[in-house]
Amino acid sequence: MTEKLDRWADPPLLVLASLAAEPKHGYAITQDVAETMGVRLSPGTLYAVIARLEARGLIEPLEAEDRRRPYQITAAGAEVLSHQAERMSRVASLARDRLGTHPGLAFA
Amino acid sequence: MSTPAPPPSSSHRGPGRSSPGAPPGTSPLARAAIALYPPSWRDRYADEVRALLDDSGAGPVAVASLAWRALPAWIGPPPQRRDRPARMRSHLSTALMAWSMLVGLGLVFAQLTQFQGYRPAGHPEVGWSYAVFDVALAVSALTAGLGGLPLWLLMLRQAHRDMRPRAIAYLLTPILAPAAWLACVTVTVRLVGGPDGVSLGWFAAVTVAGFACAALAAAGPGLAMRGLQPRGPALLLAARAAGLAAAVMVVAAAAIAVALTGLCLWAETFPGHHHLAVPALFLTLTVAAAAVTAVSAARGARAAHAEG
Repeated sequence: MTEKLDRWADPPLLVLASLAAEPKHGYAITQDVAETMGVRLSPGTLYAVIARLEARGLIEPLEAEDRRRPYQITAAGAEVLSHQAERMSRVASLARDRLGTHPGLAFA
Repeated sequence: MSTPAPPPSSSHRGPGRSSPGAPPGTSPLARAAIALYPPSWRDRYADEVRALLDDSGAGPVAVASLAWRALPAWIGPPPQRRDRPARMRSHLSTALMAWSMLVGLGLVFAQLTQFQGYRPAGHPEVGWSYAVFDVALAVSALTAGLGGLPLWLLMLRQAHRDMRPRAIAYLLTPILAPAAWLACVTVTVRLVGGPDGVSLGWFAAVTVAGFACAALAAAGPGLAMRGLQPRGPALLLAARAAGLAAAVMVVAAAAIAVALTGLCLWAETFPGHHHLAVPALFLTLTVAAAAVTAVSAARGARAAHAEG
């Protein structure tokens, strides 16, 4: 069940959240997402997401360092991330409230 | 900007690490997985992905994930590069590969329907579709051939002048691969063919070999373009011709769809009339190949228009 719920950790959102801190290249993104969000992004998934986000103008490439090209979030990407974060926050808040109304269901 | 540094090479050798002396990130499995992607995608991301695989260690799971994601990459090409000639070359390579597959599917369609004489009585639409397909296929092949010829000659001359035998070999694949396939088919039919042609198994083998040869023939010029990086009017002409050839081939694909649907509905002796799964799969492949051809060729032609 937990694994299924992990699908809520949408890879594009994870990549945007990772890049919100600072520009990163592919390896740095996978490391950051794994360490801070506990999700391992495979190379296939990561570059499918990067291509999609880049095509939609939500991230943009910077000058390559050797073979590693960093990406940074754009203003449009930051707006999308902010909107999604707001929605997720509302869902989290609602979940907390409703779990609190069930006697016997402890919420840590 | 602080990007975590990749682990030092000497202390991090995952299963996919390349052998000493070889370029990093080029384990055979990883290279094979990256080779499954369209040329425009490889042109844009291959170096980065190799670096990532090299840094993280490309295990079988990572490589399998990479291979699996190659399929949707053909449908949705990567974002466009600023360098228009490079954009034209990469889209041209992708369009050529998809166009070859579409032509292969068209030839299989013709062999299994038109050449077998399936024409349901009272439904002239099927016959019209055959005619549209024939004309569209011929026009598309002629357009692609004539439009690509100056670029091919230009690259051949450049490869000859710079003494690059590998590029010359790549450029000759559109001639050599189909010729080899035709020779094999001729020999096969003579050896195993009966009065009704060859068995289903041999037909399938010849068809698979045909697609492999078509892929080889299409990959050759793409690889040569990657190495020789041609520019100028010949590239512009080829990109525009590819756009036109793709548009005409989409018409051929539509004719295939109409004819096949008509045969499934009205031709009781047609095998697909009773078993819809195979025609449905064939149509899906045709639509996918037509979509990839059209999208890539249109992007290449748009880049050519902007450049011109």
